[in-house]
Amino acid sequence: MSYDPIIHIDEQLCTGCRRCAAVCPVDAIIGEPGHPQTIDAHRCVVCGQCVQICTAYAADNESTLASRAVKLQERGQLPNVHEPLFAAYSSGDIQKVKAVLADPKRFKVVQCAPAIRVSLAEEFGLPFGTLTPGKMAAALRRLKFDRIYDTNFAADVTIMEEGSELIGRVMSGERLPMFTSCCPAWVKHAETAAPELLNHLSSCKSPMQMGGALFKTYGAELDGIAPADIFSVAVMPCTCKKFECSREEMNVEGCREVDLVITTRELASLIKDQGIDFIHLPEEPFDSPLGKYSGAGSIFGVTGGVMEAAIRTGYELITHEQIPNLQLDFVRGEEGIRTAEVQIGDLELKVAVVAGLKYVDAVLAKVGEGTCPYHFIEVMACPEGCVSGGGQPKLLLETQRKCAYQARKSAVYRHDSHQKVRKSHENPDIIKLYKDFLGEPLGDTSHHLLHTKFVDRSVKEEMS
Amino acid sequence: MNNVQPKPFVIAEAGKCIGCKACELACFAVHNDDNGVGAVVGTVTVPVIPRLHVIRTESFTLPVQCRQCENAPCAEACPVQAIRQEEGVIVIHAESCIGCKGCAMACPFGAISLYKAYSNGKVVPQIQLKDQQHTPLERMAKVIAYKCDLCRTRDYEGGAAGNVPACVEVCPVEALSLVHPDTRLSRSRTAAAMRL
Repeated sequence: MSYDPIIHIDEQLCTGCRRCAAVCPVDAIIGEPGHPQTIDAHRCVVCGQCVQICTAYAADNESTLASRAVKLQERGQLPNVHEPLFAAYSSGDIQKVKAVLADPKRFKVVQCAPAIRVSLAEEFGLPFGTLTPGKMAAALRRLKFDRIYDTNFAADVTIMEEGSELIGRVMSGERLPMFTSCCPAWVKHAETAAPELLNHLSSCKSPMQMGGALFKTYGAELDGIAPADIFSVAVMPCTCKKFECSREEMNVEGCREVDLVITTRELASLIKDQGIDFIHLPEEPFDSPLGKYSGAGSIFGVTGGVMEAAIRTGYELITHEQIPNLQLDFVRGEEGIRTAEVQIGDLELKVAVVAGLKYVDAVLAKVGEGTCPYHFIEVMACPEGCVSGGGQPKLLLETQRKCAYQARKSAVYRHDSHQKVRKSHENPDIIKLYKDFLGEPLGDTSHHLLHTKFVDRSVKEEMS
Repeated sequence: MNNVQPKPFVIAEAGKCIGCKACELACFAVHNDDNGVGAVVGTVTVPVIPRLHVIRTESFTLPVQCRQCENAPCAEACPVQAIRQEEGVIVIHAESCIGCKGCAMACPFGAISLYKAYSNGKVVPQIQLKDQQHTPLERMAKVIAYKCDLCRTRDYEGGAAGNVPACVEVCPVEALSLVHPDTRLSRSRTAAAMRL
C-alpha cells in the first residue's frame, strides 16, 4: 500500500535548524543540523507540530526556488493564497473540496471539530480565541454545503458509546486501563510502538468518523438521499485526520465515511477565495438533528475534555444521580500528565490525562508491565489538545503561543458553560438518535457503524 | 560635549545561530499592522519583508542588521534627509525615501535593503513613473529602503512592551541580544581587570 505521508519538508526551504525535531514527539525528523531534514513516515504520527513551529519561509527574492505557483500546486493550496510558504507543510485538499462544491449533483455535508470555532476567526485578524460557531456555520452555508452538521454532535455520540464501554470494562475488570481513541495521531503511535497493547484502546471510532458514518446512514435516510450521492467533508484542527479518514476500515456500506478532511487554515483560505466577508457574517445555526450538541461535546477540543465529558455522563449512568459539579477542574490543565481519583457511587475511578504524545511512552511501559493503576486514560498527541493541533492557525510569533492556546481553551470552556444542555446523554437529538436508529449504546448498529479495530503497524512498510 | 551616550543596537552571535529565520519572521510580523498582518500566518497578504537578514555561508548562519552607527553613513548618503536619528534610533522615513539606494551602498554591513512599499496590504504605486514594457502602461511600484528600527514603536500582544526588539525576544537559542554599549563596555573593562 502506498499513500501520501501528508507531512512534508520542502528541501529547498529547510535550513536545517531542527526546531521541528525538538517538538516532534516521536523522533521522526532526521537530518544533520544546517542541512534539509527528512521525515521518517513510519514513525511520523502526522500531528503537524513541525508545521506549526517551522519559521523557514520562502523569501520573495530567492531566485533559486521553484516559483510560488508551482509550490502552491504541489502543496494542494489554492492558487491565490498570499501567505508565506514554509519548509514544513501538510498536503492540502482544498482544491478538491472547491471542485466538489461546484458540482450541483453531489449532496455536500460538512462537519467541524470543536476546536475550529475557537480559532478560525484568527485567520481573519480577530483576537486569539474569538468564538464564532454561528459565523462558521454561515460561512459553510455560503460555500454551498447542503448540510452543516457538526463533530460536536458526534462527540456526544462518542461519549454514549465510550462511556458505556468504560463502565462495562471497569465493572468486569477487563482490559484496563482503557485508553481513549479519538486522537488519530495517538492511535497511529500505539499501532506503531505498542501493537501488543491495542486491546487497551477503546473500540470507538473518533467523533469525526462516527459523524461521517451517521451522516451517510441516519442522515441519508432523513434526507432521502443515497449514501453514494453524499460527499462528506470534515474541517479539522488536525493534519492526522487526513490520514484517519483514508484508513481502509473507515467505510460504511462501501462508501468512505469522510471523503475529505481540510484543516482550519484550508477552510479559511477557501472562505477568502470565495470573497466571503467572514467578520460581518450573521450568526447562523447548525442543521438539525446532526448538528445539535451539548457542552460536553464541545470540550473535546481541549486536553482533558473527553475525560470531563465522559465523567459527566458516566457518573449519572452509574449512580442515577445528578453529578454535583459540572466543572471538573481536576482534569483541566496543560501539557504533561494529570491524574485524579473520582468517587462515583462506590467506585473510585482512577483517571489520567496525557497531553503531548511524548509523555505517553512511560504510561505504555507501565501498562505493558501490568503496573498502571488507572482505569481510564485520555491521550491527546498535541500539547494542549486539539486547540493546539497541527492544522490550526499558525502563529507568526513563538512568544504568543502560550497566550494563544490559553485563549482558545478559555473559549472552548466558555462555549460549554453557555450551553443549556451540558451532558451528552441529555442532548435531545442524541436521545432521539438512539430511540429511532441506533437502539442502545454498544448495540448491533453501533457496533457496525461506530466501532473499529486497530492495525499492527510495527513493521515498516515502503511509503511513496 | 564629551559625554556621549552611544546608541543601543542588536547583534548576533554566529556560534549560536541555527538559521531558523524566526527573527526575520518576527521582525516582519511586528512591523505590518498597517498591512493587516495579525497574529497568524493566514492574515499575511504581502511578501515577508524583514529588516534583518539571516545570511548563510558554508560554515555558519547569522542574522545581519543595523548597528545604529553614531556617524551613520546611510544618513550622510541620503540626498533627501529621509534618514534621521530619533530617540537614539536611526530611522528611515518611508514617505520621504526616493529609493536611490545610496544608503544601501553606503552601509558597511549591508543592513539596508530595498523592497516595494506596501500600505493597507497593497503595493503603493508611483504617481507618474510607468513601466514602458507593459501595455497598457502600468504604474511602477514605489520602492523604499528598509532597516532595523529596534522595534521602537512596537507594542504587541505577548511582547515585552517594546523593551526588547521582537527578533531578540523570539530567538530560540538566544543568539541575538540588544546591546547597550555603556553597560557592555564597563562590563568588559571589569572582566578584563579581573583577568589581570
